[in-house]
Amino acid sequence: MQHGGSVLAPDAELAVHYARELFGRRQESVRLWIVRRADVHDLADPDLLDPPLDRSFKKPGGYVMRDKLAAARERSGRPKSSAGERRAAPRSSPDGSQ
Amino acid sequence: MTTAAASDLVPATPNALALLLLAMADDEFVIGFSDSEWTGIAPLLEEDVAMSSIAQDELAHAQALFRLLADVVDDGRDADAIAYDRPADGYFHARLLDHARGDWAQTIARRFLYETADAVRLEALAGSSYLPLRDLVGKIRREERYHAMHITAWLERLASTAGEPRNRLLAALDRLALDAATVLAPLPDELSLLMAGVVDAPGSDLDARWRAAIAPVLARLKLPMPPPAADPPRARTDHSDAFRWLHGEFTSVRRLDPRAAW
Repeated sequence: MQHGGSVLAPDAELAVHYARELFGRRQESVRLWIVRRADVHDLADPDLLDPPLDRSFKKPGGYVMRDKLAAARERSGRPKSSAGERRAAPRSSPDGSQ
Repeated sequence: MTTAAASDLVPATPNALALLLLAMADDEFVIGFSDSEWTGIAPLLEEDVAMSSIAQDELAHAQALFRLLADVVDDGRDADAIAYDRPADGYFHARLLDHARGDWAQTIARRFLYETADAVRLEALAGSSYLPLRDLVGKIRREERYHAMHITAWLERLASTAGEPRNRLLAALDRLALDAATVLAPLPDELSLLMAGVVDAPGSDLDARWRAAIAPVLARLKLPMPPPAADPPRARTDHSDAFRWLHGEFTSVRRLDPRAAW
């Protein structure tokens, strides 16, 4: 989701039409949300969005789940789901190591 | 081959089919060019983009219809040659589209009358026995649904805003009244189109369907219903000076070098 831009229109119905023409006529959108400017609440405070202290522990990157999941699957005797296989396949080397 | 599909129908149909395709293509072509005259000068920037985009959609529909027509007539002319290389008198669009774009109210009134009639025509072709047209109509209708929403929104706003907007709209509907019903006027040889299952009803039925579709909208907005077409056999002939001017405009680039590759 991203901000497409703004339109000037006399009311919501025409705003939808204009948004479609300005931001959807070249197949660049699959869905458009149109809201009145007055209904957009802005949050841009860097102290709230980009805290000065270390918050890396709130990011998921440090948690490696792959080995735990593989062990759990082994215990349950159930193979990987097909979706999981599709995701994992490109990262597997020929001998099966990760 | 689309030509073979056409000639598989009853014998009189290829000529009647060509006239149907020509009428539809010229209608879309002329309103597309006429409405594109608003590019740069529409009432507000967003509407400028919207009206220009809709006008382009109509030209794309015309191009697709001209291609079908080129297959049916099969006389060596391609879609561009059919579209651009005729004298003004050789065009077969409805007289409704002979009116100049006029002021914004006239453009809205004309487009409302045209879009609603065209929707009825497309619906009558949705199950056509001529498969290339049926396929194309399915695609065109998906775009025209949005055009109808857009133009109805504008009609409602002009009609329900007292003073200049409503007065100009009423004056425009009055100027267009006698030609309002020309889009669905019976085509020459329409009986053979009916017999072959190309269309599902004669022009008189389509006119009744159109009136049934627009009556509730016009009644709600307290706008007058259009009268019957003044002279149905001349619904697509004897074009106006306004169209002759437009024809000069839209053929001007082509005439510079008709054989140029684009």
